[in-house]
Amino acid sequence: MEGTPAHRLYDAIKRVVGSYAFRVVVQGILTLWAVTTFTFVLIRQMPGNPIQIKIDQLMDQRQLSYDDALKSAAGLYDFDPDEPLIQQYVKYIGKLARGDLGKSILSAGTPVADQIRRYLPWTLFSVGSGLLISFTLGVLLGMSMAYWRGGLLDNTMTVVASIMYGVPDFVIALLLLLVAGVQLELFKVGDVLGGISQDVEAGFNVPYITSLVQHAGLPVLTYVWTTVGGWILTMKSSTISTLGEDYITVAKARGLPERRIVLAYVGRNAMLPLITRLAISIGFVVGGSVIIEFIFQYPGLGRLLYTAINGRDYTTMQGVFLVISAAVVVSNILADLVFGLLDPRVRVGGQK
Amino acid sequence: MKRYLQCLLIAALVLSLVGAAGLNKPAQAQEAPSGVWFGTWPYVLPPEHSFNAYVTNGGLETNLGVGFRSYVELPMAFYMWSTGEYLPLLAESWGFSDDNSYYWTKIREDATWSNGDPVTADDVLATYAIGRLMNWSDFAYIDRLEKVDEKTVNYIFLEGQGSLLAERFILKNYIRDAYTYGELATKAQELYDSGKTSEDPEWTELVDEINAFRPDELLASGPYTYTLDDVGDTYMTLHWHPNSIFSDSVNFGEIRIWAGETEATTPLVLSGEIAHATNVYPPSTLEAFAAAGINTVAIPRGYGPALLFQHDTWPWNITEVRQASALVIDREENAFLTNGLGATATQYMAGLADSMVPLWMTQEAIDQLDRYEFDPDRAAELLQSAGFERNADGKWADADGNVITAEFKFPAEFTDFSGMALNATEQLNEFGFDITARAIPWQQCADDIRNGDFELSVWSWSSQSPFPARQFYGPIQRFNYVGLTQGQKGMNFPMEFEWNGEMIDLDQMINDSSAGLDIEKQVEITSEVALIINQLMPFVPLNELISVEPFNTDLIDGLPDPDDPILQNPSSTDHFIIYSLLTGAFSPK
Repeated sequence: MEGTPAHRLYDAIKRVVGSYAFRVVVQGILTLWAVTTFTFVLIRQMPGNPIQIKIDQLMDQRQLSYDDALKSAAGLYDFDPDEPLIQQYVKYIGKLARGDLGKSILSAGTPVADQIRRYLPWTLFSVGSGLLISFTLGVLLGMSMAYWRGGLLDNTMTVVASIMYGVPDFVIALLLLLVAGVQLELFKVGDVLGGISQDVEAGFNVPYITSLVQHAGLPVLTYVWTTVGGWILTMKSSTISTLGEDYITVAKARGLPERRIVLAYVGRNAMLPLITRLAISIGFVVGGSVIIEFIFQYPGLGRLLYTAINGRDYTTMQGVFLVISAAVVVSNILADLVFGLLDPRVRVGGQK
Repeated sequence: MKRYLQCLLIAALVLSLVGAAGLNKPAQAQEAPSGVWFGTWPYVLPPEHSFNAYVTNGGLETNLGVGFRSYVELPMAFYMWSTGEYLPLLAESWGFSDDNSYYWTKIREDATWSNGDPVTADDVLATYAIGRLMNWSDFAYIDRLEKVDEKTVNYIFLEGQGSLLAERFILKNYIRDAYTYGELATKAQELYDSGKTSEDPEWTELVDEINAFRPDELLASGPYTYTLDDVGDTYMTLHWHPNSIFSDSVNFGEIRIWAGETEATTPLVLSGEIAHATNVYPPSTLEAFAAAGINTVAIPRGYGPALLFQHDTWPWNITEVRQASALVIDREENAFLTNGLGATATQYMAGLADSMVPLWMTQEAIDQLDRYEFDPDRAAELLQSAGFERNADGKWADADGNVITAEFKFPAEFTDFSGMALNATEQLNEFGFDITARAIPWQQCADDIRNGDFELSVWSWSSQSPFPARQFYGPIQRFNYVGLTQGQKGMNFPMEFEWNGEMIDLDQMINDSSAGLDIEKQVEITSEVALIINQLMPFVPLNELISVEPFNTDLIDGLPDPDDPILQNPSSTDHFIIYSLLTGAFSPK
């Protein structure tokens, strides 16, 4: 039996099934399925459904009886609220298995995939840039504050970071527009709203890129403003606890250069707790920031989600939530791998 | 002589060339006006954005609202609330037939679409053929349409259904073009003629086809049109074209529509980049507008918040308790806390908007109306007459010691309704009731009211229609078993009861208040319904909302004087901006 093709195939399957990558992928798919199922049920528990919301609108605006409004509303959407939940679920999962996210209920005929393709790049650009800037600033400042603990930078930045972390993003967004735009007239409000100027031709050219940066400026600034404090404080406390480790003392006793201690010993180890948080944040980049996008009229996924939730557009909501979940799952898998690279103990543990 | 002839020929040639060039030169009326109108509306972006004029999400209704849409698709006429008259837009004449069996409209001879084609009766027929398929309310009145000539259409009424309500539907509908919708309209008409109904699969399939229809271009009968390239993230632009009957009268070459709602438009209004906005701004923002020197114009919204009772539940089924509730809420205070300057206390308490009372009620009936002036003493007397007394805690209780207590559900997202509910709760408690306010999502609140799962709640009364039946509709039909579906009881206010010694059907009386064309009879029925509502207080119409809209006179000239009758028109389909812009009353600074 040993050495036969069947046995070799069995061994190969066993090796694949037993591999870490396979486990991670299966785990990821199961997580996605669970989240998809959970959100499918959850959004249908929200009060109202697309038809009901339309009925209310028709009754208020056109003074129809409930039954007349129902007849009108039912004709507008390809959605039957009375269809059993399990039937709706089977249809949804069936389509999903074929890679079809379905069509928007509210905007009949518009595929959800098209909607996501339209809005996602804007969110990736703005929130992604914001996260990158925020994380880099937070790590550098947090580490410096811990290293020169008790100094002017530490004392000042601890207070500043706490304040920045505590102010909600929509307050910052409105303040930026109202104070910087309206009161101080630093810019024309209309020039910074949206994703791009209408008179600029799309493409890899200077006016387009300038306009892109100009319009993303305030959303990115708002995002950085409201998140950098968290990174700073986390990095600071992580660095402080790393500085107290025995291996730092040993490294210093061995007379290693300060630069090497800071980068290879302190920085690398202090960043470990931030990696998981960063991974989750990267996942949520996809979801955008609903309020920020809403206030700045930024054409990101958050704006789409806001409209979809208000109108109970189940298929669009499901599509957006699925993309967010997938991003979180994938970024967590990546975090696991990066974590292993940064901390050899994880790899050793994994091999055991 | 030869040289003279040569010169003459050259001169003639030059003149003819100049003349020929002149032929190609646009005439004065074909040059776009230079001004730009800056408005705001929460349109959606492509790919959801479409030119479909029938879908209610993503189509013209979503993207242009009723205001901007009139600049693209003209309705037949514009209604003036102060006089009850229609002013011509697309139609040049209209009216009921002598025997009231049909209504007719005649489109202006010179009306054309943006592509130069004339607007004809065929466009009207196409509009309604699809409208029937989409279950338009018009067909509760209209049996069929008949083309009389190229410009004239007769709307044949269902037996006895000719009425002012039907007229309003006909004159307010936006007319779509047969060039775009003709094929679908033909299918729809054939389907209807074959006897199919909405229960048949063919009907549903065609509805789906219409919903999924994405026209490539937008033909406009109004003076503006746009393409999908004009739809940006921040604003969309409507461009003037020369072929509309209003192209010569408008003074703006472009209409820029900023995207977004109150939060997004507030900074734009403050920075002077919006000429006019219809968003609901809170009192503090309105103060900021005033401080920034931005004018506002106040017009009725046409509706307001009412206190709703659950008539199945003690003690709200007792008339005296409801009347007492109306007496102990200071409506001036309540209006201010509902929406600051954006609300006004109800005066007549008749279930009709105050401005409509003198038009639709007899003076004798108006004199009989109880105004329910704030009077806690009178309220106390009423409660005592119904067997209630204050207990040791100062709370009102019946003979068995049951305190008047209730939960007041209100929609958390609607700041005006929330303000009304919280203040009403406070005032009722001050008088000695035991009310607990509870904020819930608006969809849940609407659901709970429909299902009768509430004790006290708040929703709109009156409406943006100038006719009594529509004004009485909310909430006594809207949220009562008569207007709901099976199993939903709503407020559960009994609509059939004895009144002045005879059985009446209040639901039927409300419907009759705008039925037919006998205005005197309508006034008589309206007066009676109003008196019944006034005396029984099935709900308390606490205040009417006012739309306080920024109007930047640094950008635009032509704001009407405060006493101009056109400002009596409420916001929405009869908004004064629509008519004023089309007829050239506004111009850029």
